[in-house]
Amino acid sequence: MAIVELSKVSKKYGDVLALRDFNLTTGDGEFVVLVGPSGCGKTTTMRMIAGLETVTEGEIKIGGKNVVGMIPRERDVAMVFQNYALFPHLNVFGNLSFGLRLRKVPKEQVAEKVRSVAKVLDIEHLLERKPKELSGGERQRVALGRAIVREPKVFLMDEPLSNIDAKLRVEMRAEIIKLQRRLGVTTFYVTHDQVEALSMGDRIVVMSKGLVQQVGTPKELYNAPINRYVAGFIGSPSMNFMKGHLNGDGTVSAGENVRLVLPEIRAAAVARSGIEEVWIGIRPEHLVIERNPDSVTRNVIKGIVEVVEPQGGTTILQINIGQEKKIIAQINEQWGREAGEKLTLTVASELIHLFDPKTEQACS
Amino acid sequence: MDNLLWRNSKWASKLVAMVIVCLALCWVAIPFLWAIVNSIKSHSAIFRTGAFIPFLQFTPTLDPWKEVLGDPQTLNCLFSSTLVGVGTTVLVLLIGTPAAYSLARFEFKRMKSKDITLWFLTQRVLPPVVVLSPFYILLAELGLIDTWTGLILLYSTFNLAFCVVIMRDIFRDVSKEVEEAARMEGASLWQIFWMIALPLSLDGLIVTAFIVFAFCWNEALFASAVTSQHAATMPTLILASRSTRGVDFNSAAVNTILAIAPPVILSFFVQRYLARGLSFGAVKG
Repeated sequence: MAIVELSKVSKKYGDVLALRDFNLTTGDGEFVVLVGPSGCGKTTTMRMIAGLETVTEGEIKIGGKNVVGMIPRERDVAMVFQNYALFPHLNVFGNLSFGLRLRKVPKEQVAEKVRSVAKVLDIEHLLERKPKELSGGERQRVALGRAIVREPKVFLMDEPLSNIDAKLRVEMRAEIIKLQRRLGVTTFYVTHDQVEALSMGDRIVVMSKGLVQQVGTPKELYNAPINRYVAGFIGSPSMNFMKGHLNGDGTVSAGENVRLVLPEIRAAAVARSGIEEVWIGIRPEHLVIERNPDSVTRNVIKGIVEVVEPQGGTTILQINIGQEKKIIAQINEQWGREAGEKLTLTVASELIHLFDPKTEQACS
Repeated sequence: MDNLLWRNSKWASKLVAMVIVCLALCWVAIPFLWAIVNSIKSHSAIFRTGAFIPFLQFTPTLDPWKEVLGDPQTLNCLFSSTLVGVGTTVLVLLIGTPAAYSLARFEFKRMKSKDITLWFLTQRVLPPVVVLSPFYILLAELGLIDTWTGLILLYSTFNLAFCVVIMRDIFRDVSKEVEEAARMEGASLWQIFWMIALPLSLDGLIVTAFIVFAFCWNEALFASAVTSQHAATMPTLILASRSTRGVDFNSAAVNTILAIAPPVILSFFVQRYLARGLSFGAVKG
């Protein structure tokens, strides 16, 4: 268990800057998720914490000790790899005990530790098997076990669930969280899947192009994205963006079919900043179908349904709101909507996000 | 044959295929047959033309075998060949595999790993006969003419390049992630080499060892140049059948079989690795 501090960490490959000025201090036992598209620097960051990659600039501290320049062995961290990276020539026992044996832990103790970890992960019956004789899920457990058995200060997990099928992934997700809570070991978890990030992390670091976009709890990222990138990345389906014009009266409009009233505080803040054009952001799940279109005048979006995608419990609608613009709405209805239908949608004022088109930062 | 393509072929094309296979088989097998037949002929029968079928056309005898195996020089040569073969293989693997591993995994500052590998490769392209005289002089200076040490050193220089190039390719196929996992578990570079990279490349290592051994076992040119008595190997013994009295076909045949047998027997054991090992680099570039 340890606090991990990264300060001004940068990484260059030749002239290419892979990571710039990464700052983060974890809590003790915190579950931190690094999320972003491929090439955003999340794996590089993790590999630098692991000691598999050198640090170009900055400092990494684990438990208060600067580990830059240390080999992985001295850092006392364990990593779970995307392709499991089990030792194919060793059986499960050999895989789990590898690190302990390198550390010259007495034999009886090794056997005892391996058995107890195998029991926790429910792989006791597999100890004699070779990795190639295991299913994907079982391999995943062995890889986790190998990380746990050494009782390291920090866990690093590099997309550990991306190679197993969807159903098992959800199960393993819950299991990893349970395990991490129980062991209380500070964990870094890399994923490109924002759903995984939202459901697992105590805190999430959203990254893009080698830069940290926002650090926050899942709730903060979802409700108050700091810029347009984070707003679009977090949430599924993705947030709708429309070019809008700020009117003097605290409303914002986009074309003739969209006219939205801003909450007073927001309107005042925007008015002070003096900008006129904005990006309006609305999450698809926040759009609601208005049953009495004639009686409502506030926050109305009118459009024609183009595509209907039933999801079972909910339905995703692609709606044409005129001027070649489309928005996505996720509504709490099952089947029954049809293409060509005219709809009036509304959204609560406090669920409207605004972004400065020049800086792409949120207006608040 | 349980193969749809084969089953659906016309009988004529099947026939052609079979004839080709038979021809190829004869091509390979007839020299063996010649050696076996001649090794059980008497001195007089050997020059009778057309005598090919034992018991019918000539009376088989084990005299040539007794003669050759009774000769201490034959046993000495067998021992030399084995010792030089094994010695070279061990030395080459001992030096070559770590070199190959470092070329596969690390980049050197002054010279690219790729260039070093190419330099190794050029050693294989060089016609060996070019370096015959220099090597002879070198060994003579060192007092290593007609010694096992001399032959082992000589053969190692040829095979080291081969071992490095092949093993480099094989090591490159070992998953980097697996090695990184070992690093995370706390393994040092040497431990990764011994506990991960080598065991995972065992197939390739066995094939490389076999090929190096076979090279040493078969090599005749250098052996006949730098050995005479003490360190003479089987190929030189076979060459020596051509003496002033003409060619001694009997002993040549027996020696040939003696020389062929060990690698053939060995190849049965390594067969399972051979097919895979010889296609090194074919699956993954």
